[in-house]
Amino acid sequence: MTFLIQQTLLYAVPLMIVALAGVFAERSGIINLALEGIMIFGAFTGVFFVNVVQQAGWFAAAKDNGNWIALQGFEILAILVAALCGAIFSLLLAFAAINLKADQTISGTALNLLAPALVLFLIRILANQSTLYMSEGDAASWFMIKKTTLGFDRTADIGALGEIFINKVYLATYLCILVYIILSVLLYKTRFGLRLRSCGENPQAADSLGINVYRMRYAGTIISGALAGMGGFVYALTTANCSANGDVAGFGFLALAVMIFGNWKPGNIAGAALLFGLFKCIAASYASIDINGDGVYMLAQIGLSSNFYRMLPYLITMVVLAFTSKKSRAPKAEGVPYDKGQR
Amino acid sequence: MKKKLLALMLSAVMVVSMGAITVQAEESVSADDIEDTMTSDDGTYEIAFVTDVGSLKDKSFNEGTWNGVKLYAAENGLSYKYYQPANESEATDDDRYDAMAAACEAGAKVVVCAGYLQEAALTQAAIDYPDVQFVFIDGYTLYNGDDALANVAGINFQEEQCGYFAGYAVVMEGFTELGFSGGGGGTNPACCRYGYGFVQGANDAAAALGTTVNINYSWLYGSSYSASAELQTMVSGWYTNGTEVVFACGGAMFSSIAAAASANDGYVIGVDVDQSSESDTVITSAMKGLAAATEYAIGVYYDGEWDTLGGTTTTLGAADGAVGLPTDTWSMENFTADDYAELLAEVVDGTLVVDNDYESADLTGFENAVVTIVE
Repeated sequence: MTFLIQQTLLYAVPLMIVALAGVFAERSGIINLALEGIMIFGAFTGVFFVNVVQQAGWFAAAKDNGNWIALQGFEILAILVAALCGAIFSLLLAFAAINLKADQTISGTALNLLAPALVLFLIRILANQSTLYMSEGDAASWFMIKKTTLGFDRTADIGALGEIFINKVYLATYLCILVYIILSVLLYKTRFGLRLRSCGENPQAADSLGINVYRMRYAGTIISGALAGMGGFVYALTTANCSANGDVAGFGFLALAVMIFGNWKPGNIAGAALLFGLFKCIAASYASIDINGDGVYMLAQIGLSSNFYRMLPYLITMVVLAFTSKKSRAPKAEGVPYDKGQR
Repeated sequence: MKKKLLALMLSAVMVVSMGAITVQAEESVSADDIEDTMTSDDGTYEIAFVTDVGSLKDKSFNEGTWNGVKLYAAENGLSYKYYQPANESEATDDDRYDAMAAACEAGAKVVVCAGYLQEAALTQAAIDYPDVQFVFIDGYTLYNGDDALANVAGINFQEEQCGYFAGYAVVMEGFTELGFSGGGGGTNPACCRYGYGFVQGANDAAAALGTTVNINYSWLYGSSYSASAELQTMVSGWYTNGTEVVFACGGAMFSSIAAAASANDGYVIGVDVDQSSESDTVITSAMKGLAAATEYAIGVYYDGEWDTLGGTTTTLGAADGAVGLPTDTWSMENFTADDYAELLAEVVDGTLVVDNDYESADLTGFENAVVTIVE
């Protein structure tokens, strides 16, 4: 059970944060199809940063001395770098969609095509291979928080909640959840959020009230890029051993589905992300999931083909979307370039 | 305020990390010191290497073979170059042929091809370029019709032996919950031999100790020998459920398995080369002498004795010193280097024969090793 919850969180958190990235862009009126591409780019830059800093040896002493607080600082720095690079990458979309009034679907798709190619090209040049890894060690030994890191004994009893939430976890997971909550509040409870959302519903009306629509849309897209970049790196860190290979297993597109399924609302999105995370986890490890702790691996014993479990996350996506998309309501002005002259 | 906080955080991080300059020990010439790309004066490259699926620097099969190429070339002042077939893990025979042809056109005298998957492409290339000699690592004699191609030297290893050593060693060490995660989806003969040997070794050691061991045996998520989130999750699940040590048998898959092991305080057995430097979780590695064999085969050509290798299959095993465990770097305590030497001697002199017929083997039929095939 502990395992299931932890792994579900690992898969759900990147989805959640990237879906929120989609919300920020779309609420401001820009369709951000490039989430996948930005994730890939963010994952790459974050891993590259980790690799370079490791080679420079800045944190080697902290690692040797078991100074885990410094290592968590390192992790946060890497996340910031990934977010920053994601934001910069998303400027390409913002410029095309806002200044050039280009078709947002097509420019988003172009970025999705660009990112993996660019990243693979860079990895080839930098590392002479197709995957960029950490320079030494692995993600778990550098960044994972275990009860031993916190000073507990390896066999200490820290209770079920402790086992789930402070043993074998990444700070990145909680950081993402925190950012998610803060930005959700920002979007719904502040003046800035209201203005941003108004630009996605009726930009003309917003403009008539003195809101700079272009600036708001830039803000939405940049926040979106930062979140997607961050999500990409967190995905790479927590599930792919801090490696980048120009691929995030379609999480950017899944995040789009999660966003639509969540009806562009943070609460619903979090629920949807957990659902997908759960099925993704089941797909990968159904044979070793022991739900009630009695040593019986029920899912493996039902006798269904493993291919069925591996299809589950995608089947669920389709089924759920089929049922919910009727009720979903996208921001009204999304995808429409803002034209001041049009009233 | 925010800026101050950030500055504070950054400076804290910097203070903590001060004095973190690592000192690296000087070594004699190691393959890592030799550049992967060199530029020759006339644009021709005498010794070429065509990679298997997976990346060149996979810290395993490709890299081990490539190190042999580099070492020989560097010691003898020859030009060398590697060629990666297009399309990565989805490379077709055409892609592989193109890479070999490119090597031959660039003036290669010896082309080292790694991996049994290259068979079809290599056969064609060997026919089309009869003056070029090919070293087929993890390979065998190739035929043009009924005639053996004299310019192909097949070299393979008795992986079942070092798989056996690894399985025997970890069970003797005291582990009873084992795992095997192999690459190639069960189609790669080398990985199959490793796995079959591993189970036999574990079974024999368990019999000697009078216990029973459990082995999770899986080919899942390894078809392209690469790391993946799914693989990491699955193996994490194993460790969570009590598995203590997993044999990571497939190139870059190692990264996912080591990450899972590190997260759960488990252990990993490396493959092909000594992977102890890659992760603290590596307890030992089932090694085969890729670099040495490659160096040897290239050397035979330059010594003018190619006829002894060309058109034949050379099988290297413990008796040739070509497979084994690295006793210097392993972290075992109960199973000593002397115990290992005894075991090795038995295999070398033939009193202990490790079966390599994995195709007709029944993995679930062992008495002291309960093999659960995860699929």
